Amino acid sequence: MSEEFKSLLSNDIIPENWYNVTPDLPEPLPPPRDTKTDFSSINLLNKILPKEVLKQEFTFKRYEKIPDEIMEKYLQIGRPTPLIRAKNLEKYLDYNGKIFFKYEGATATGSHKINTAIAQAYYAMEESANGVTTETGAGQWGSATALAASLYNLKSQIFMVRISYEQKPLRKVVMSLYNSNVVPSPSNLTEFGRKILKENPEHPGTLGIGISEAVEYALDHNYRYMVASVMNSALTHQSVIGQESIRQMELLGEFPDVLFGCVGGGSNFGGFAFPFLPKSDDIEIYATTAHEVPKFSKGEYKYDLMDTAGVLPAVRMYSLGADFVPPKIYAGGLRYHGAAPSLSLLINHGRIKSDEVSESEVKDAIKIFANTQGFIIAPESGHAVASAIKYIKNHRNDKKTLLINVSGHGLLDLSIFQ
Amino acid sequence: MPMKNLIPYFTLGYPNNETLKRFLMAMPLDIINYIEFGFPSNDPRYDGPTIRKTHRIGNENYNENFYFDIFKHFSDNNIKMYSLSYYSDIDDIERFAAILSNLGFSGSIIPDLLIDYYDEAFDVIETLNDMHFEYIPFFTPSTPDNVIKKVSEKTFSWIYYGLQPSTGIDIPYDLDYTCSRIFSLVKSREINFGFGIKTIDDVSELARRGASGVAIGSYLVNMLDKNDVNGFIDYLKMIRGALDVEA
Ligand SMILES: Cc1ncc(COP(=O)(O)O)c(C=O)c1O
Repeated sequence: MSEEFKSLLSNDIIPENWYNVTPDLPEPLPPPRDTKTDFSSINLLNKILPKEVLKQEFTFKRYEKIPDEIMEKYLQIGRPTPLIRAKNLEKYLDYNGKIFFKYEGATATGSHKINTAIAQAYYAMEESANGVTTETGAGQWGSATALAASLYNLKSQIFMVRISYEQKPLRKVVMSLYNSNVVPSPSNLTEFGRKILKENPEHPGTLGIGISEAVEYALDHNYRYMVASVMNSALTHQSVIGQESIRQMELLGEFPDVLFGCVGGGSNFGGFAFPFLPKSDDIEIYATTAHEVPKFSKGEYKYDLMDTAGVLPAVRMYSLGADFVPPKIYAGGLRYHGAAPSLSLLINHGRIKSDEVSESEVKDAIKIFANTQGFIIAPESGHAVASAIKYIKNHRNDKKTLLINVSGHGLLDLSIFQ
Repeated sequence: MPMKNLIPYFTLGYPNNETLKRFLMAMPLDIINYIEFGFPSNDPRYDGPTIRKTHRIGNENYNENFYFDIFKHFSDNNIKMYSLSYYSDIDDIERFAAILSNLGFSGSIIPDLLIDYYDEAFDVIETLNDMHFEYIPFFTPSTPDNVIKKVSEKTFSWIYYGLQPSTGIDIPYDLDYTCSRIFSLVKSREINFGFGIKTIDDVSELARRGASGVAIGSYLVNMLDKNDVNGFIDYLKMIRGALDVEA
């Protein structure tokens, strides 16, 4: 192992604090809103989220110290993650500038999701919850929740959208291996699920139904509900990605001119890109979505429900509508109808640019990346790489330094190539 | 040190005009400093369920004429009145300020202005400044640093700091951090706190950290509902006591 490689992965690359972008935003962040007259979904959060998570959601400290117990777990699951110069990709693309990528696929569960799952499970344990619960679509988030719970000896109850449960049996195995109780949603574990099953026993399920079931389960069993993305606290926890990247680039004597990341709810993107904002006003930033889920180009910047069922509060974000039914695309993690309020604000303000790529561009990017850099990356992350490739084609002679966030590996998503 | 401010909040027309009048006229004038009146809105979007309810009912009952004498009573007695108005309900900001001035109001808190109308906010502030009508900046923990600084520089009156994402909600927060942040961003300015304040403890904790005063709204609704004028007066006196201990 070279000295350079070692120092890029030494323990002190992990930051001491999470970074919260809210105090540094150019405009006030519109707060979550209740949508019903006599019921407060904001108050509901009080009953289902760990107190400390809620505090982080609303107090907006620029820096929040990462507790030692969480730091230990970050080290155990593979943080800091590698930052690698993609020299083969540079050569393949005949690019005169430099390309770097941050590789979140190197964590234990294979994506960035574990960064916030560990934090949320820790705070749930701290207040003696019986367990944690959440919904999952493709299963990345469910896997991260299952492992985080297991690390803190908490039970976990996961509601997996039925159609994914049937189509992605391996993800279910992963979660079960981490001692999680996984059920297809709608399930008969909750009143809400039973009601839906009664109307339609074959219901394929949706993330909205999964959320409603998990929230009900949390309320009834003294469990805490785990938030995958969109909410500010999740983005804050993910800020380890960007802060590590900054330190690693600095160690290499480099600084990026352009950043690329993919957007589902915005957690890997925000965690990666936001820590760079106070560092430089000139850095160009691209947030990439799938053509099939064009939230930034066709969506509206408005108050909309975070979940289809309307259990959680409404937030102001770019949204295709909470009832938007995305096509069953190859990248399950990007099907979400909206994007985190802070990210939406920065896009609306013009500080962050958006991009969209097609399925064929993404598949090509994954193949190129696999054959040049070796890593088989997640289809979600393929969007960021595809965007970067597109950028290079249009800026061949700019000699810029590009940094791409590769949010996960794709070893459990290979069916898209079958 | 000046007396710390006690600022009760009422939505006009709630629970009905007569009951509200009885509460208002029973308030000893020497224990309150300002009054905040909510003009009923169809879309009180930054209020919690309790105050939303008061807007809905207030909307049905509110009758401007009924309140002329009450407004006069307070302005004659030098209790400054501020309106809580949503910008989404205001058609013409100059007319709005002129009417309120005529009714004896000193200024307005406009909770949605910076959030939903940021592009227009500085023009609105300038207009109100020119009319010598106090624009009360409404900040929350989610207001970015540069916005707090910019808006503070362009305004002259006290600042309303909302501790919660909306009224009547109990999200836990880090009070030390919240206070030290706002006090370091705006120095030597009167800052009154509101949203979710109810107990003596809440008030003492704030006073101890240097708050200029507190606004209390949702917590009064229960007393209005029960028509409990005596309980209401006792409560205000208790809060006054908590503010005075620290002053
Ligand atoms: C590997 C990977 N990347 C990205 C995403 C998108 O989510 P977010 O935008 O919150 O990072 C997901 C979501 O499941 C994912 O699994």
